[in-house]
Amino acid sequence: MSLERRKRGHLLGLLGAPTLFLLVFFFGPLLIMLVYAFLTPGLYGGVDWVFSHLNFGRILGWANTRYETFDPVYIAIFLRSLRLAGLTVLSSLLICYPAAFWISRMRPGLRAFAIFLVTLPFFVSLIVRLFAWVLILRPTGFLNQALMGAGLTSTPVEFLYTDFAVILGMTYVFIPFMFLPLYGAIEKLDMAQIEASFDLGATRWQTFRKVVLPATMPGIVGGSVITFIPALGNFIVPSVLGGAKVLMIGNLIEQQFLSARNWPFGSALAMLVMAAVLVLLLAQTRLARAKT
Amino acid sequence: MSLRRLLSLYGLLFLAFVYAPILLVVIYSFNANTLNMMIWDGFTLDWYRQIFGMKTDLADNATYVDSTRQLYGAVRTSLIVALSTSVLSTVFGTALALAVARYRFRLAPMYRALMMLPMIMPDIVLGIALLIFFITIGMNLSMLTIIIGQSTFLVSYVFVTVSARLAQSDPGLEEASADLGASPAQTFRKITLPTIAPGILCGWLLAFIISMDDLVITYFIAGTGNTTLPIHIWGMLRRGIKPEINAIATLMLLFTLLIAAIGLYLRSRRQT
Repeated sequence: MSLERRKRGHLLGLLGAPTLFLLVFFFGPLLIMLVYAFLTPGLYGGVDWVFSHLNFGRILGWANTRYETFDPVYIAIFLRSLRLAGLTVLSSLLICYPAAFWISRMRPGLRAFAIFLVTLPFFVSLIVRLFAWVLILRPTGFLNQALMGAGLTSTPVEFLYTDFAVILGMTYVFIPFMFLPLYGAIEKLDMAQIEASFDLGATRWQTFRKVVLPATMPGIVGGSVITFIPALGNFIVPSVLGGAKVLMIGNLIEQQFLSARNWPFGSALAMLVMAAVLVLLLAQTRLARAKT
Repeated sequence: MSLRRLLSLYGLLFLAFVYAPILLVVIYSFNANTLNMMIWDGFTLDWYRQIFGMKTDLADNATYVDSTRQLYGAVRTSLIVALSTSVLSTVFGTALALAVARYRFRLAPMYRALMMLPMIMPDIVLGIALLIFFITIGMNLSMLTIIIGQSTFLVSYVFVTVSARLAQSDPGLEEASADLGASPAQTFRKITLPTIAPGILCGWLLAFIISMDDLVITYFIAGTGNTTLPIHIWGMLRRGIKPEINAIATLMLLFTLLIAAIGLYLRSRRQT
């Protein structure tokens, strides 16, 4: 057997099983979901294998039959999810950027330890981290006790079950997602360039805007994208910290599958989330390509 | 105050923001106050005793025997799932990473791009897609469906971790080994495997921890009777905030820290 053919055999041996596995159990389900989004929901849960575009019509505006009617609330919930995810990205960017800068200027040994400290909570169970915020934000919680103790308010402030709680919760659980790409970009900053900028008489702010910010932009974009995506479709955070009041698209999808039992409509909603994610990723790659 | 000092001060505040909530849970787990769990009323281990089904002074002790059994069941399910999932995805992820990094073939760039997909796919989308898939092909929801479902995205995590390690290692070493007459199997065992072993181990630990913690995807494909630990706790949370959740959370924290410490220890050993 020639060397070339033997190599080919090795390659197939490595690729074969995992490729098959992912084709069947990753791409297969996504494909079936796509099909479901165009099927008719059965009257008692389940699904009729009849083509229908009304699942999208209910969301986007053209459905007006007896069972399937357009309701602007779905678009409103989707827009609300986009807004909450956007605000989450913004707050976590503002929180993480200075922190990443701080750590990138440490001694190497200390730096590794600091990164370890920042990423460690990522491994702490999500549900535990959210529970911690319930303890802090609830009416009898830590924050209200502190505020009332300081005499800032006489009655407990309603923090829990608000947009604020959801944004705070998502910011908190996605910190490593934002921090690591930012840190990666900031660590690579060329100190000589910054010094040159100062030498040429630029102020701190000018140096930040003209040198530091453009150089770290890939980290900002990368961190924002991978924070935005899980925030957009999230339904655990709003269901723990948002109560019934803060409904996001993820909660709506979950309802279609577990209480309303309208799988085709739930699939259509999921396609909407997927479409938003794909648009975002395409924009990111275009942006990156335009740069180089 | 200089900018540098200000930055350090901010950094400490940042770390406080990251750790204070978690520490709070640990502290409250020792709170003896049974009426209002948010007001400190002395130290107790009762909540831990309760989790382990031991006798406590708490009034409704009897009701906890049942919940303890459920908790143990959830822990057992989570461990079985996490072990199987992490092994499966480590084998698949490592194989793919090796193929893409060490062989030249036309589809390699496509693999590299597509392997990102499972990681960035919103988990709720993957969760419902898997649910529809399993129901449509007539597969009963069980521990097996959880293992398959979680592996679909954990393969990617291992792939990325091992690929990073492969990118750092020098392919010249492998070429040299082949030039010196080593068989591909020998080269793999003596050169490739030792260099990427830390990456494989990290990928495995990562997959294990993420699997233990996965809530969304598991939630959709677990079916009834296969409650994992995160789903169990989520259910408890939805029925009301109870003090023993603090104790369970603290134990989970301890477990996670233990695994992270093992990972770090192994990494430090590799460097020396």
